[in-house]
Amino acid sequence: MIRSLALPILFGLAGLVLPFTGSSYLIGVGFALCCSIALVQSWTVLSAMTGYVSLGHAVFYGLGAYVVALSWGALPMPVGLLLAGGVAGVFALLVGMPVLRVRGPYFVILTFGLAELVKYLVIILESELGSFSRLMFGAPDLGVLYAIAFALAAIATAGALLIRRSRLGRGLLALRENEEAAETVGVPVVRLKLVAFALSAVIPGVVGGLAAMRTTYFEPMQAFDPTVSFTIVTMAVVGGSDDARGPLLGAAFFTILSEVLWARLPQVYMVVLGLLLILFVLFIPRGLAGIFAGRPGKAA
Amino acid sequence: MTALSVEGVSKSFGGLRALSDVTFTVAEGETVGIMGANGAGKTTLFSLIAGHGRPTEGDIRLGERSLLGLSPDRICRLGIARTFQIVKPFGGLTVLDNVVVAALYGNADRPSQRDAEARGLAALTAVGLADRADGLAETLTLSGQKRLEVARAIATGARFLLLDEVMAGLTPPEVAEMLGLLDAVRRRHRLTLMVIEHVMKALMQLSDRILVLHHGELIATGAPAEIARDPTVLRVYYGEGA
Repeated sequence: MIRSLALPILFGLAGLVLPFTGSSYLIGVGFALCCSIALVQSWTVLSAMTGYVSLGHAVFYGLGAYVVALSWGALPMPVGLLLAGGVAGVFALLVGMPVLRVRGPYFVILTFGLAELVKYLVIILESELGSFSRLMFGAPDLGVLYAIAFALAAIATAGALLIRRSRLGRGLLALRENEEAAETVGVPVVRLKLVAFALSAVIPGVVGGLAAMRTTYFEPMQAFDPTVSFTIVTMAVVGGSDDARGPLLGAAFFTILSEVLWARLPQVYMVVLGLLLILFVLFIPRGLAGIFAGRPGKAA
Repeated sequence: MTALSVEGVSKSFGGLRALSDVTFTVAEGETVGIMGANGAGKTTLFSLIAGHGRPTEGDIRLGERSLLGLSPDRICRLGIARTFQIVKPFGGLTVLDNVVVAALYGNADRPSQRDAEARGLAALTAVGLADRADGLAETLTLSGQKRLEVARAIATGARFLLLDEVMAGLTPPEVAEMLGLLDAVRRRHRLTLMVIEHVMKALMQLSDRILVLHHGELIATGAPAEIARDPTVLRVYYGEGA
């Protein structure tokens, strides 16, 4: 317990100190890191705990961005962000019913397809509305955005830690291992999967809204970019998703990597993403967290 | 008092009639054995009672309450738990976590985690797995996993257990051990049991009454000694010359 908390506390302290450097470059990197941590921790609530691997979390991120863009100027910023999370969560509840009926590779493909579908629906909707992309004037400055992202990362990490040890988490882990057996010992699997899906969608919705504010515009191709989904999965695989440490390590690793690569070799980023994914899946299925825990071998 | 009544239950899978017009009751505290060749409909019967699938015709009631249309998890909380012929442990979880989740979700009184852990440990102790509590369930031997199935069913707090071949694949000493354990558990918790078993001697020894299924039909019911000399059963099992 103490050991598994050491890394989150270390990250938390570093995150608190960061703004005092006054470097907008560092705060920008910190913002990206916090967003990634929040996304990956949320993703693990569904995908690591139930075994339903989502390759469509970009849909929640995109919806959040869209909600914030639509409500920009009409609603106060905090309300817009909360609404972004709410819409993402409700959307997950609605589509979860049919989507969570399939498992394994079917679920992976379905979530990916769903995210693409929503992306093109939004593109059609936007062109009907005569808007190509939406500019957002008067977005909060980086310091404020960073503070919100840090809070989201902290909430998502604490949430993932707590859920894993809760009654809900125990039910989710049981249904991951064997859904039929879980059902026969009283676990309401349909309800629990839906709850996990919705919980894993809310924070990504808020993060999407936050990201739109950071870029100060909304454009569907970018907001619903499947790279967001791929990056989440890759961070989780490389970091490990057996406990709350993995997403921290995975997100940190990739944030640093992309800083190094984007500056010098932007085209290589996706190639490296793919290579790392293959390497880790084949040889280090427990991820970086597994290496630190001294058991890089078999995944749970 | 009648615990369970199965009334005119039939089940078809497409053109295949797995069960036809099966009617019987199980009294509280009774142990009822189910006999029948492979494909006779034994496991189908358990599946229907436990809520995995719905009868094509007929009704299944626990006390006065019909179980038709209820989900398996709901039926478990009403007090019926089943084990699986092909064991389904939560392999990546510890042995203790396997039973704790059953205690957490299976009991209608929603125990706290601490309470569920105590109940889980008690269930493990009852089947002799307490010393393996911290190991992963997938590392247990078959005999261990069969006992874990029973422990998980007990941990749900159910008073009505459907045991599907919990002795299949075990060595004779392990069968003897399982028999002793089941006998002790049913006395301590005053359980009602339905038992599917191919190990005849074990079934005869454990059951108060035996039902014989053949091609989905209930062809005989009676005390073990009666079943052993029932002409219909003998004909089905040994052919016309018997």
